[in-house]
Amino acid sequence: MLKLNGITRRYGGTAALDGLDFTVPDDTYVSLLGASGSGKTTLLRLIAGFEEPDAGEIVLGGERLDGKPPHRRDIGFVFQNFALFPHLSVQENVAFGLKHRETGAIASGSELTDRVAAALDLVGLTGFGHRGVGEISGGQKQRVALARTLVTEPRLVLLDEPLGALDANLRARMCDELRAIRERLKVSFLHVTGSETEALTMGDMVAVLAQGRIAQAAESTMLFHQPQNPAAARHLNAWNLLAGTVTGGALQTPVGRLPLPRPLADGTPAQLAVRFDQIDVAEPGAVPPGQDHFTARYLTGEFNGPTTLSFFRADDGELIQVVDHMSNPRLPDLEEGKTYALHFSPEAALLYEGAA
Amino acid sequence: MTSVTTDMAVATKDSPAVKREGRDRRRAFMLLAPGVVWMILFMVLPMLMVIYVSFWTQTTFAVEPTLTTASWERFMSSTTYISAIGTTLRIWVIVLLATLVVGYPVALFIGLFVKNRTVQTALLVACVIPFWTSFLIRVIAWRPMLGTEGAINLILMKLGIIDQPLTFLLFSEFSVLVGMTQIYCVFMVGPITFMIARIDESMIEAARDLGASFWTIFRRIVLPLSMPGVIVGAIFVSVMVLGEFATAASLSGRKVNLLGNIIVSQVGSLKWAFAAVAGVVLTVIITAVITLALRVVDLRKEM
Repeated sequence: MLKLNGITRRYGGTAALDGLDFTVPDDTYVSLLGASGSGKTTLLRLIAGFEEPDAGEIVLGGERLDGKPPHRRDIGFVFQNFALFPHLSVQENVAFGLKHRETGAIASGSELTDRVAAALDLVGLTGFGHRGVGEISGGQKQRVALARTLVTEPRLVLLDEPLGALDANLRARMCDELRAIRERLKVSFLHVTGSETEALTMGDMVAVLAQGRIAQAAESTMLFHQPQNPAAARHLNAWNLLAGTVTGGALQTPVGRLPLPRPLADGTPAQLAVRFDQIDVAEPGAVPPGQDHFTARYLTGEFNGPTTLSFFRADDGELIQVVDHMSNPRLPDLEEGKTYALHFSPEAALLYEGAA
Repeated sequence: MTSVTTDMAVATKDSPAVKREGRDRRRAFMLLAPGVVWMILFMVLPMLMVIYVSFWTQTTFAVEPTLTTASWERFMSSTTYISAIGTTLRIWVIVLLATLVVGYPVALFIGLFVKNRTVQTALLVACVIPFWTSFLIRVIAWRPMLGTEGAINLILMKLGIIDQPLTFLLFSEFSVLVGMTQIYCVFMVGPITFMIARIDESMIEAARDLGASFWTIFRRIVLPLSMPGVIVGAIFVSVMVLGEFATAASLSGRKVNLLGNIIVSQVGSLKWAFAAVAGVVLTVIITAVITLALRVVDLRKEM
């Protein structure tokens, strides 16, 4: 189990990580979701030991890691750009850690060959050992980088946007394989990504990093359905947020008054979150009874294959998104520039106290 | 069938791809021409001439184009000249090693430990500062440094480390080695720095993450990846040191005779045929050294 307690890392005056607490359980695939510049790579580099925190402690299996040099931490790091050694063959790349590590280096040639072959089998590169790293494709380089890390049997594997350099087809396949490989090895993976779909697909657990802290860490369906705070909801790219102040038992927002799912005191700032796929569209005045609603102008639609994303602009300028599934269409034919009533079931809305 | 083939041939003859290829080829020739002409006129022809002249007949004050191997026989049978080859090779090896030993750590520091590109450039420029003065001044400046009443002897005597001035410092092989190492070191530093600076930082981090200590990373990653730089630097230094005469002339007190010094003195006394023999020998040695260096590392693969 990896525990991070109060990790702070400052660059100049700005804190990339600000008192971050986080736990990576054993034998779990954890995705770390964050926007670019949110400090997610910094967090990985702190765990691996390429940088040290300004404050806080990093504990792995009861042992303090911070202050130790990276080659004594026993943590695997898979780089986004793979960072393969260009002057060595695939086999020599994979053997590097076993052969040259400071403690527990393996001298026996036959054991080395066997373990390297086993690692290459694991990532599906059987027989590629003699190739030069310049002679293999991007997907194969990714696998070599993975094998090179896994063969040393690290206590935790960090993956820095491991699928970022692959094309879409390969990415989908590597997703499955990464999960399968991890399940065979029973070691925890901490996978950093900026893509919410990748984070939800990969992670048994997904952690959202925002403003230098973990906004929420939860099992992926749980996170998707019940984000605990606006920051988590925003990163999932699936929730519309409507900010306002409670007045007279309802939330007064720039788009109008919306009922509260639970009572709050007058004057409390709060935000209402409604998922993209839980908003329906109707002509103004034709809102079904029992539904909450507000009005917005239809801007344009984006056809994504099985789903269509429709963009609306509320009167205050807030962008509202609605997802429609092709197999189960809910939306009427929309006309650009026309105002519609966007309505949703009161149970679908989540309420967050606090200003936006 | 035949007509179809002909049609296609006609169609491709003036195709944009063929025209583009032709234009590219003409442009390549135009870029190449000045260099080729220059090399033929001022290198290939003179080289052939030197080989030719080395077989001319040498009399006291003149050479005649009557072919003979006399100059070659005299060169090969003279211990003075054979030992000059030995001295040249010995000084070359020592200076090469010295520039490597002094230069590599500097290159490692600038290329690996200095992260800021601007500072890297500034440090490299600083290495070239000695070149802002003339070659002769740089060499002669070693005299007040190394002489019997020079700075080093004075300091050592003031500190009480020695009572008699060290005489081997100046007008000896030692001073020639010191002078050459100082002058040619920068040609080693430059290419190695460029190679080391090209090593991706994440590669070194990856090696550390895999458990390797600093020295292992240096030996297994940095050193092999910087080898092309070492070879290019070694070729620069070798070519310049093997043809050297000025440093030896001004710092050795005529005690060190390099092939370069022999050529200078023979030309000075109008022994053209004999100077040509020494010139050919020197060229053969330099060619052999470069061939050897290129064998060690496949530069084509690394560039």
